[in-house]
Amino acid sequence: MAEAVTIDRVRKVYASGLEAIRDVSFGVGEGEFVSVLGPSGCGKSTLLMMVAGLLAPSGGEIRVDGTPVRGPRREIGVVFQSPVLLPWRTVLDNVLLPIEMLRLGRSQYLERARQLLAMVKLDDFAGTLPRELSGGMRQRASICRALIHDPEILLMDEPFSALDALTRDQMGQELLRIWEHHRKTVIFVTHSIREAVFLSDRVFVMGHRPATIVQALAVTLPRPRRLDIEETDDFNRYVGVLRKAIDSEGGVAPLPNLLPGLRRQSRRSETAE
Amino acid sequence: MNDRVRGVGLPIAVAVLTLLAWEGLVRTLGVKAVVLPAPSVIVRVLLTRSDLMLEHLWPTFYQIVLGFLISVGGGILVAVLITYSRIVRNGFYPLIVVSQIVPKVAVAPLFVIWFGMGTPSRLLLAFLVAFFPMTINAAHGFQSVDEDTLRMARAYMGGRWQIFSKIRVPHALPHIFSGMKISITLAVIGVIVAEFVASQQGIGYLIVFANGTLDTPLMMAAITALSLMGLALYAIIAGLERVVVYWQAPSEPGAEGMA
Repeated sequence: MAEAVTIDRVRKVYASGLEAIRDVSFGVGEGEFVSVLGPSGCGKSTLLMMVAGLLAPSGGEIRVDGTPVRGPRREIGVVFQSPVLLPWRTVLDNVLLPIEMLRLGRSQYLERARQLLAMVKLDDFAGTLPRELSGGMRQRASICRALIHDPEILLMDEPFSALDALTRDQMGQELLRIWEHHRKTVIFVTHSIREAVFLSDRVFVMGHRPATIVQALAVTLPRPRRLDIEETDDFNRYVGVLRKAIDSEGGVAPLPNLLPGLRRQSRRSETAE
Repeated sequence: MNDRVRGVGLPIAVAVLTLLAWEGLVRTLGVKAVVLPAPSVIVRVLLTRSDLMLEHLWPTFYQIVLGFLISVGGGILVAVLITYSRIVRNGFYPLIVVSQIVPKVAVAPLFVIWFGMGTPSRLLLAFLVAFFPMTINAAHGFQSVDEDTLRMARAYMGGRWQIFSKIRVPHALPHIFSGMKISITLAVIGVIVAEFVASQQGIGYLIVFANGTLDTPLMMAAITALSLMGLALYAIIAGLERVVVYWQAPSEPGAEGMA
């Protein structure tokens, strides 16, 4: 499998002197779904923004298809934590924004935009303004926007973290359906262990600042995956391994020993915080 | 529906009652028209001397509109420069802000010396008072695009011009309209003050003239005509705003803070 994205000894120190990322290296294969998991503020979003070419690494190099990233690139689509739809554009026009930015023919992509919207069940809302959509619908529209120019690589920065738990599960399943259909290379940043296991081929756990990769885990659960896979022992074994990796990093404030029962419960809770 | 009736009907009712009370008080107390004419007298003057009104309304009107348009154009231009040029933002903008301390109407006589009694000095004063709120509102509009949106645009390879035309300009439109609504009322003040200082025509001149001849009903009629014109200009801008800034949920008058 050819490497679509190579992260090679990347380091990030902010102008303030804060060392966000000390040394991170990993490769992502073509068509692979990779998650970067870590507690809030560990620098995982920073890492993703560097892959997107929106931030420059302080050291090391990021390569996409073998060439170093110097700035935003056409073959990358990004889904941000908030949908950032433009309020004056209809859903359809928001989806077509990258086409306009890249100066591609709008008319040639109109049909594709409609197909993408149909895929996320937003076809009836093509002419609607974002303010009339729910949070989940907005994020689905922003996923369509990230896919409109048919990028090879999809970068997702905690895209479902602002959604309620039910919508979030649903979006995860929908994302897998899209991914099985369009087979992009995906780097998905999250602080939800279950989300990472459910979606990914491989999960990289980032530790606290200054961050390094503290664990890499291949998830070999069969695909296509459905939500009920989360009930299986296999699934929960992966969750356990990742939980341990995060805990050993001090991702969760240790609870007093007087409450061993609570401690066990917190291990099963969904997020790493 | 009930809210709508209250939003429009209540202010109208209050206004009508105030006018009736005014009329009643002036009549029962026998106040002389030189001191305070009754509303009915003012209306009669407006109707019987409408030719005179229109004759003086017209130059005032077009100078207000022209002064306003120059302010809008100039304000937006300076706002763009403030947004994109560090020299303008750091070197000129603070000076423009400080210069607002000068009471602009006090400069009006100076303009007559520099630019004469004609239209230019009146336009200049209108521009001087109306341009500043336009500039700060537009500049705020261009600059207040949130970081997430800019990052999104850059991620999709938006260039400077695209980010300006597709993101900053539409984002600034609601702010530009806020500025225009302030500017239009200030342009009215600017032109009227300039007409007070030196003019042979215009509503400002008519007010000073009526004042000189102690014709208070004519003066009040002129003020009424001027106010109606100002209101109409404001309404045009507010109506345009609704069409242009279509994506903002319309706010009912007085709806703020009532939820």
